[in-house]
Amino acid sequence: MLALLVALALAPNDARAQDPRLAARLDKPTQFAVNAIVDSARAAALPTAPLVEKALEGAAAGSDGPRIVVAVRHLAARMGAAKHVLGPRASADEIKAAAGAMDFGVTVRDLARLHAAAGKRPLTMPLAVLTDLLGRDVPLVTATSLVVQLTRAGTKDAEFALFQRNVRLDIEHGADPAVAATTRGRGMMLKAAHTGGRPTE
Amino acid sequence: MPEHDDEIIEQVADELRGPVPLSASFDARVMRAVRRFPRHSRHSRGAVWSRLTAPRAIVVRPLSAGLLAACVLALAGLGLVQAAKMVRAAAKPAVGGVFARTAKPAATQRVQFVLVAPDAKKVAVVGDFNGWDASHAAYQAKHRGGGVWSVTAPVPVGHHRYSFVVDDTVWMADPTAPRASDNDFGLPNSAIVVEADK
Amino acid sequence: MTPSPNPRSTLSDAEIVARVLSGDVEAFAVLVARYRDRYARYAYHMLGNREDAEEALQDAFTRAYRSLARCEDPDRFAAWLFRILINRCRTTGARRGRRARTFVVDEGAVLAAAEEHPAERAAWREEIGRALAQLRPDQREAFLMKYVEEMGYDEMSRSTGVGVSALKMRVMRACERLRGMLTEVQNA
Repeated sequence: MLALLVALALAPNDARAQDPRLAARLDKPTQFAVNAIVDSARAAALPTAPLVEKALEGAAAGSDGPRIVVAVRHLAARMGAAKHVLGPRASADEIKAAAGAMDFGVTVRDLARLHAAAGKRPLTMPLAVLTDLLGRDVPLVTATSLVVQLTRAGTKDAEFALFQRNVRLDIEHGADPAVAATTRGRGMMLKAAHTGGRPTE
Repeated sequence: MPEHDDEIIEQVADELRGPVPLSASFDARVMRAVRRFPRHSRHSRGAVWSRLTAPRAIVVRPLSAGLLAACVLALAGLGLVQAAKMVRAAAKPAVGGVFARTAKPAATQRVQFVLVAPDAKKVAVVGDFNGWDASHAAYQAKHRGGGVWSVTAPVPVGHHRYSFVVDDTVWMADPTAPRASDNDFGLPNSAIVVEADK
Repeated sequence: MTPSPNPRSTLSDAEIVARVLSGDVEAFAVLVARYRDRYARYAYHMLGNREDAEEALQDAFTRAYRSLARCEDPDRFAAWLFRILINRCRTTGARRGRRARTFVVDEGAVLAAAEEHPAERAAWREEIGRALAQLRPDQREAFLMKYVEEMGYDEMSRSTGVGVSALKMRVMRACERLRGMLTEVQNA
């Protein structure tokens, strides 16, 4: 009864916060469930746009309501875990990128290592590169270890981009993903050691 | 300057001097755009002026003198107004139609998506940047020939997931892109990271 | 059966301009066919992708048509058109931002798919394209004019409105940056 009263009391606020696209593309029960997850995420200061996008993706893919709700809930949980590790000052992009990496199997512990390696620097680019490597089938341990090392060495965003580009080209030319990533990563580390960590641009 | 350094620039210039093919319909598109404007008409402008200034025998009757003067003044005025319109039209920057563009916010970049799908009749890009909407006008790919479909569309800076939807039914991951992390819905997705312009 | 040549195609630029100004709009197609390939290359390398290049080039031709009466020296129509294109590329570049440096797609893949270029050549071309995209627009503009369009500095100055010594500095800086980026790629 109390929960119902609370829900009713919150209803006008929910209506204001609802994304109209959800109403247009989800059935009522799914819409209600997704909105509840979105509201909880908002209350926890998590980005809500990825949750809405996940629901819309499910709708576009023709998935049934329960599957959509499960997917949205899992994403919210990953983002919550990511924020817990990255701290209250983590940006929406970092949280979203961390959640993506975790979905590939990056653990909370690895995330914490990466966070420690970065210090005060943003993690958006290292996480994007990590996710990219994992998406190209570089093994999890190899990819995580490389990105942590490069981050600890002070690799700048542009250098991370160059590293990713070289790995991608190597893989496209037939190199084994693990070998490509390790070779290029080693090259970056040597360069960083040689230049004393100065930017190369 | 060391010879090796010159070589790199020469190699670059050599590569860049190669022809860049345009789409087969380019000329036709330009001419369609050009035909929408008024024809240039150097002769007709001259004809109006020469009619106004050519000497002629005028028989003036007292009653019609004022009327004739008024007509001459009106015709002269019309010529000047027309000339002024032509000058303004030539000087006005082209706006509207194919040239109109809205300014994109700095946090969005234009990204080119390419899919080779020779048997497709329709290809759209769906992603978390367009609500996974296969009917979104800005993300409909055009066929460029040889089975190559492409569209250049706005994508916010950051990390995104997307897919191609072929013929409104088949989802295809981008074969040149890393796969996206999740399989929540059993359909293939790709990942893209869009960097901010420096 | 070979198509009969366009009877207007032996006419000079000035003669065609005169026809267009007299009302023969179709004559303008000769100028389009005559110059589109030459300037497509510049637009493509300035803007980084085919779609933007075609739109800038189409825009330039259309503006040239509308302002044709103001072309002071129709014998030098090409240079006048090029000045319009330079400005269109600057405006397009400023308004839309350069082509995003993405982790996904590249023109090399399109060319490889459609024109069967070797993969190595496509990759090198892509590296050049990316290095070019990282230049400042004014440096890229000066580099393309000097080394790709092979213009002299005086002509470049007339086309851009920038002084010769400033142009030389931009070309020098562009070369330095390109050497730096591409030497790194070659040695990697």
